[in-house]
Amino acid sequence: MFRYYLSLGFRSLRRNPVLTALMVLTLSVGVAASITTLTILHAMSGNPLPHKNEQLLVPLLDNLPADNGNDDGEPPEQLTFMDAMKLWEQKAASRQTPLYGLSPAIDSGRADLPPFFTEGVAIGRDFFAMFEAPFLYGDAWSAEEDARAAKVAVISRSLADRLFDSGSNPVGKTVRISDNDFSIVGVLDSWNPVPKVYRLIGSERFDTSEDVFVPIRTAVALEFDRNGSMDCSSEPPAPGFQGYLQSECNWVQYWAELDAASSRSRYADYLLAYVNEQKALGRFVRPPNNRLYNVGEWLDSRGVVDDDTRTSTWLSFAFLLVCLVNTVGLLLAKFSARPGEIGVRRALGATRADVFRQYLTEAAVIGVVGALIGLVLTWSALAYIRSLDASLALVTRLDGTMLVTAVAVSIAASLLAGLLPTWRACQVVPALQLKSQ
Amino acid sequence: MEVRPILSAMLRNKTAPLLIAAQVALTLAIICNALYIIRDRLSTAARPTGADETNLFEIRFYPHRPIADIRGMQIRDLEALRAIPGVRSVAWVNQIPLGQSSWNIGGLTTEPGKRDSNIQATYYFSGGSLIDTFGLRLIEGRDFQSSEVVESDPRKERAEPQVMIITRALAELLFPGAASVVGKSFYLGGSDDAKPVRIVGVVERLQSPSAPAGARAELSMIAPITYLDGYTRYAVRAEPGQRERVMAEAEKALLALSNDRVLLGKGGFDELRARRYSGERIMAGLLIAVTGFLLLITASGIVGIASLWVNQRRKQIGVRRALGGRRVDILRYFVTENAIITTAGVLVGLSLALALNHVLVGAIELPRLPLIYLGLGALVMWLLGLLAVSGPAWRAAQVSPAIATRSV
Repeated sequence: MFRYYLSLGFRSLRRNPVLTALMVLTLSVGVAASITTLTILHAMSGNPLPHKNEQLLVPLLDNLPADNGNDDGEPPEQLTFMDAMKLWEQKAASRQTPLYGLSPAIDSGRADLPPFFTEGVAIGRDFFAMFEAPFLYGDAWSAEEDARAAKVAVISRSLADRLFDSGSNPVGKTVRISDNDFSIVGVLDSWNPVPKVYRLIGSERFDTSEDVFVPIRTAVALEFDRNGSMDCSSEPPAPGFQGYLQSECNWVQYWAELDAASSRSRYADYLLAYVNEQKALGRFVRPPNNRLYNVGEWLDSRGVVDDDTRTSTWLSFAFLLVCLVNTVGLLLAKFSARPGEIGVRRALGATRADVFRQYLTEAAVIGVVGALIGLVLTWSALAYIRSLDASLALVTRLDGTMLVTAVAVSIAASLLAGLLPTWRACQVVPALQLKSQ
Repeated sequence: MEVRPILSAMLRNKTAPLLIAAQVALTLAIICNALYIIRDRLSTAARPTGADETNLFEIRFYPHRPIADIRGMQIRDLEALRAIPGVRSVAWVNQIPLGQSSWNIGGLTTEPGKRDSNIQATYYFSGGSLIDTFGLRLIEGRDFQSSEVVESDPRKERAEPQVMIITRALAELLFPGAASVVGKSFYLGGSDDAKPVRIVGVVERLQSPSAPAGARAELSMIAPITYLDGYTRYAVRAEPGQRERVMAEAEKALLALSNDRVLLGKGGFDELRARRYSGERIMAGLLIAVTGFLLLITASGIVGIASLWVNQRRKQIGVRRALGGRRVDILRYFVTENAIITTAGVLVGLSLALALNHVLVGAIELPRLPLIYLGLGALVMWLLGLLAVSGPAWRAAQVSPAIATRSV
């Protein structure tokens, strides 16, 4: 019987074409608006490492001077180079890495490819395992290469394709990075965590991953300039790059990975002990004010999802509500135009429940058609947003979850809108209708 | 007025009028807030930077291998740029309005040793004249003299400027109520060795590279510093109408001078503005689309329901016409009916708009809705209702009195 109702529903689309078109349009525009904003919100508020949420931690230490103006009670958002390197050397967690952004120059030496700049990060070898970067060729450099500041690099697949024959394995080849020859030890496959959780500071939140990864000691030894933000609470003790290495300027990010979530408090104790040890040396003049964030807390504290995204999601669902009310009105108009038909069906033995099922099915058919048009509209809206702001490319992709959500929202909306008109259709008294004909 | 029969007819069939009223209320609540956010974002995106935006462009280079003689490179570059016909003024600059990456200095204070000042300003510097090159309007004092320019090499000792030019907004924040600030001094931070900086000029307006929403955007200061860094950014002001040609020639001239560097980018303020405010524009565009569709959908809902009523009442309309009712009476009936429903919706919608605004103020940093937007929204809804019902009402008025004599 359901299939019969379904075919009736589709046939009924052709009846009152203007009214039907209005309904389908209303529903599809409402669905498109809400799914577009929801897609962006969903991608922005995602956690790319949910299974490591409790294990990956960001420590922050408060090295500000005692009488700091503009005080909100929070420690700086990055570490000093000194502290990051000391924590890294002490290896209190099972994995750890310091990190700072670079903009290395790549010189292929080829006439057809002039030198160009790209994005890079200076890190420790644990970085790749911590953030589960997928290797296409080769592997991370060794701890020994980290320690002796070897000129080794891991590059992205897209950079490898640009520099070498695509498809060939460039491991072992040399690439000239900012006027120094580096040996390639690994190539990363396309890898874009959304948001780019490991570098929320000094980089676009929804940017693609970097092209060049080099050991931090190598980058510092070659004085590779920082590409990112830096906060100085006091002047560096010396000018130039060396001054920044010895300064109380905060410009290095740091991540630690623990074995089990239970040892988080032990890591916090370790940080406190470290700060107290440094206090004895005359640093960290303020009372201990450490912070330790896991992945989810770090994403929250950095405000990855902006207010505009939240507002537009709110507004688009309010918009959907108006569309819903409008559909109720239009369905009411459509259904109430045919009491005679209902009267005949009821007189021939259909129960109220039968009529209810038939008309609700008809409402659902409108939902299905609305969903299809709504998806096309959603897809175009996302493409339009991408064309306006390329940095949103990674968060404006329609995935399977969102496809299903769109269809579900549309059908649910049409069923909800259909409830009242259907109930009214069921109230038709067959005798009255038959008499008046 | 025939309000009583209309009301009693509505009370007998409440569902449809309630639906229309609800739709009007929701639409009003959303469009009031949406219009306000649209205006807020678009006016933020349209603020002037204070520079001569139509004729100015920037061109940026970064060396891919170390450059030995940076001072010589800057001198040669500036000479080459000045030699291009149609160039009015050129300067090396550390940053540009709307360029988004900026140097800022916090803790600015007029009292030596005051460490808890929260005044922060963006820090422009150049060895040339930003007043000439950016085309800023000097409202007090003078431009820098060449003897005041200091040279700073970041790899060696850092040189401190003695004098600065600041914006009016910064002057008002540092010296509230002062009639004149030229000759006065302030300090870049509260440390004990901070030296005073003397103000020699005040410009009307100069936006910061990040241009945040609100008054903070115009807290800027300019120092006379020749900065010897490998990163070079030149601001070039062309004669009116010659910007595109000068920009193309500037790129060619500079690339011909040295192959140790890579062109990072060039562009005028139209591009800088579009990049800086892309978020604001997307938001405004989305809201304009939502508002437009909402009005369209609400209007279509009113048309749909009103047409239904007209169809249902054809016989009654015919009877009334046969009993002497004029066309204008029929027209007036439907218009009044719609006005009553819309008014009810508007009344509920106004309080809904305030409630939605309350939620938005709590959830995001949005100022409270000015009452003018409520009035504007209500007016739009009344006009929309009138417009939407006019079609069906006119068709109702065309119903022939003869229909009363026909049995259905």
